[in-house]
Amino acid sequence: MNIAHAELSCETCETVTEHEMHYAGRLLESVRCTVCGQHMELSQRVLVPAYVHDLEQRVISKPSRLWHRATKDPVGFLRGLPMAVLRQPVKFFKEFRSLIDR
Amino acid sequence: MLAAGEGRRVGHDSNKVLLPLAGRRVFTWAIRWARELSTVAHTVLVIREQDRETVMATLAREVEPPSVTVVVGGDSRHGSEWAALQALAPLIESDQVDVVVIHDAARPLASTALFRDVIAAAWEHGGAIPAMTMSGLVPLDATAGMTNHEVAAVQTPQAFLAEPLLDAYRRADDDGFVGTDTASCIERYTDVSIRAVPSDARNIKITFPEDLFLAERLLARADFDLSGSTEPVHHRWPHLRDLLRRGETP
Repeated sequence: MNIAHAELSCETCETVTEHEMHYAGRLLESVRCTVCGQHMELSQRVLVPAYVHDLEQRVISKPSRLWHRATKDPVGFLRGLPMAVLRQPVKFFKEFRSLIDR
Repeated sequence: MLAAGEGRRVGHDSNKVLLPLAGRRVFTWAIRWARELSTVAHTVLVIREQDRETVMATLAREVEPPSVTVVVGGDSRHGSEWAALQALAPLIESDQVDVVVIHDAARPLASTALFRDVIAAAWEHGGAIPAMTMSGLVPLDATAGMTNHEVAAVQTPQAFLAEPLLDAYRRADDDGFVGTDTASCIERYTDVSIRAVPSDARNIKITFPEDLFLAERLLARADFDLSGSTEPVHHRWPHLRDLLRRGETP
């Protein structure tokens, strides 16, 4: 689960407040106002198909993204590739678990 | 491209345009759609100094050449626009830039078609702003009844002929005038005609938390492609959902 923070308008606080965003993979799963606690999240019924659609796009666009990185910095790309490949199973396991555990 | 925020609070360091949105940061989506046009030759990104490191790393990762010019914005929207125009001034004065498009980076779904339309209208008339008709509005005074006037919400990208725009901002700087948006400065200092261009309902501004969910869904529905290309990259393969479909579709 990735977490990000940003200033957004809160309807309850009626001002701009810090919000905490939780992501399943690269898909936004929930947002919470850190001041009043106002919380909204995607339901499981919506999140799973959205995740599958997003995963499909990630897989399809992966070759071009890899090519882009390889041509921009070939040495850095080759150096980081083994660890990047090894990280994938753990990354996807965490994503799937965050979807199922909701 | 204005990505410096509105500076309503002091000390915070979490800019919404740096948030992830469907695999990219919010601010690089609109850069991508604008640069699909061959007429878009230069891109200036206005940022906050504290965002520089993140912005530069993101540009290196997500934005294709040619490189983007990065400048630090002012205390207001007007100040940020002035900073961008100062960066473009040598190109404008040497006739390398004819039209300047000002866009809010918090509107990641401004399509290539919308950029094309405002640029074409600005080239023909002098200035162009996208407008979205707002229906069903009622005045706060309940006795006044429904308004008979058509009301429109003005958005970005806004496009203007480069020379009068630069001249207007130079005169505004001399006068200490701070406009609320680009059009207000143009109207005050020039006689350039500004035309409204029909906008796209998808061109939302990330303001409330639900806007992030909506932007994500709109991008997914467009197959992550607002370029208007006749053959988006992912249409070359069948969708997973189509392969998994069972039986007749009603």
